Amino acid sequence: MTIAIIDYGSGNLHSAAKAFERAARGLERPDRVLVTRDPDAVFRADRIVLPGVGAFADCRKGLDALDGMVEAMTEAVRDKARPFFGICVGMQLMATQGKEYVVTPGLDWIAGDVEKIAPDDERLKIPHMGWNTLQPLREHPVLDGLPLGDDGRHAYFVHSYQLNAAHETDVVARTDYGGPITAVVARDTMVGTQFHPEKSQRFGLALIARFLKWTP
Amino acid sequence: MILFPAIDLKGGQCVRLEQGDMARATVFNTDPAAQAQSFAAQGFTYLHVVDLDGAFAGRPVNAQAVESMLAAVTMPVQLGGGIRDLATVEGWLGKGVARVIIGTAAVRDPALVKTAAKRFPGRVAVGLDARDGKVAVEGWAERSEVTALEIARRFEDAGVAAIVFTDIARDGLLKGINWDATIALADAISIPVIASGGLASLADVEALMAPRAQKLAGAIAGRALYDGRLDPAAALGLIRRGRAA
Repeated sequence: MTIAIIDYGSGNLHSAAKAFERAARGLERPDRVLVTRDPDAVFRADRIVLPGVGAFADCRKGLDALDGMVEAMTEAVRDKARPFFGICVGMQLMATQGKEYVVTPGLDWIAGDVEKIAPDDERLKIPHMGWNTLQPLREHPVLDGLPLGDDGRHAYFVHSYQLNAAHETDVVARTDYGGPITAVVARDTMVGTQFHPEKSQRFGLALIARFLKWTP
Repeated sequence: MILFPAIDLKGGQCVRLEQGDMARATVFNTDPAAQAQSFAAQGFTYLHVVDLDGAFAGRPVNAQAVESMLAAVTMPVQLGGGIRDLATVEGWLGKGVARVIIGTAAVRDPALVKTAAKRFPGRVAVGLDARDGKVAVEGWAERSEVTALEIARRFEDAGVAAIVFTDIARDGLLKGINWDATIALADAISIPVIASGGLASLADVEALMAPRAQKLAGAIAGRALYDGRLDPAAALGLIRRGRAA
């Protein structure tokens, strides 16, 4: 199985690639992790990962700069039903639009807007940076059996914006940071995490492993 | 072989569209339950119902109208439009729908079809609506880049009861069913195929009973039944004789 990690100049690819390689090794599978800018390679891959750090508009611009990439991703994920994993801004790009400084269209795979977080406690700093537990809203294969809830494991967040989904059913888990924060979204063959599984140690690797085993 | 009379619901009324265009809707009956009863009285044995608003919204919209039809007739009803999750599948089957038809989700969420078909054997069908050979989704408002055959093959061993194959270019235009494309699909897979879109006259019912169409499970009749081009008694007579032969 080939896992394509899309390289669109949004940094942080090394740790993502390493995490997916480690998770695959843990499953004793000969999966190939490919960090690529080639739309054809993305289209041919069995699984697609879109990482992302920085501003929504910059990430969108970076994605659009790769000729044919959005089309290849869309056809592979929405028509061919390939499993997709969006991480941080990669997850936010799944939304209808981003409202970070300017309004920027997203991929519109998950109806909703990406908006600035507004903690109700002024002592809570923005960006939200730190380790938080996840509160599940519904079951999903990528979270199956993972320690969630107040006594669960922590995931690593660093962000100032979040995806406010239009449909509650698209939100799989939240965390709390002076109010609810969308932590995991999922719809059809797609999943996205606001936190960084590649930096969330064993919990993150276990989640990635579940994504690799998931057959939607 | 089953000839399914179609009831498409928009705003609680029975309408027919042309090529799936919601702007080109003709209201044929404001009372869906009465329409269902009328089809039952004509001798039809299986009703095909589409929640058009639901197909666009991605969730059931004309639920009240559907329930009124379920209460009005005893014949089985198959229902499509806006069925995108397991809860909706379970809800409809629990309310007495004989078979649900999953369209958009069959393209974008194949696991839903597989899970539902496993949980409810014989009660889950897939609706594949093709325009220029490619499957359309979201109430036909969006076109994908996959062919009907490619999607159908995903479900070969999933226990799907039927595939309802519609040629959008012909739907509602009374130009006759696209038999070549429909039969080619039926020949390529083992899931029974129901032909839909453009059924115009008794000639189409004859084509349905022809030897080359024997792998089909039936056909759907819409506008031709509403505007009187297709005489129900003659059509159903042809099917009964074909079955006996």
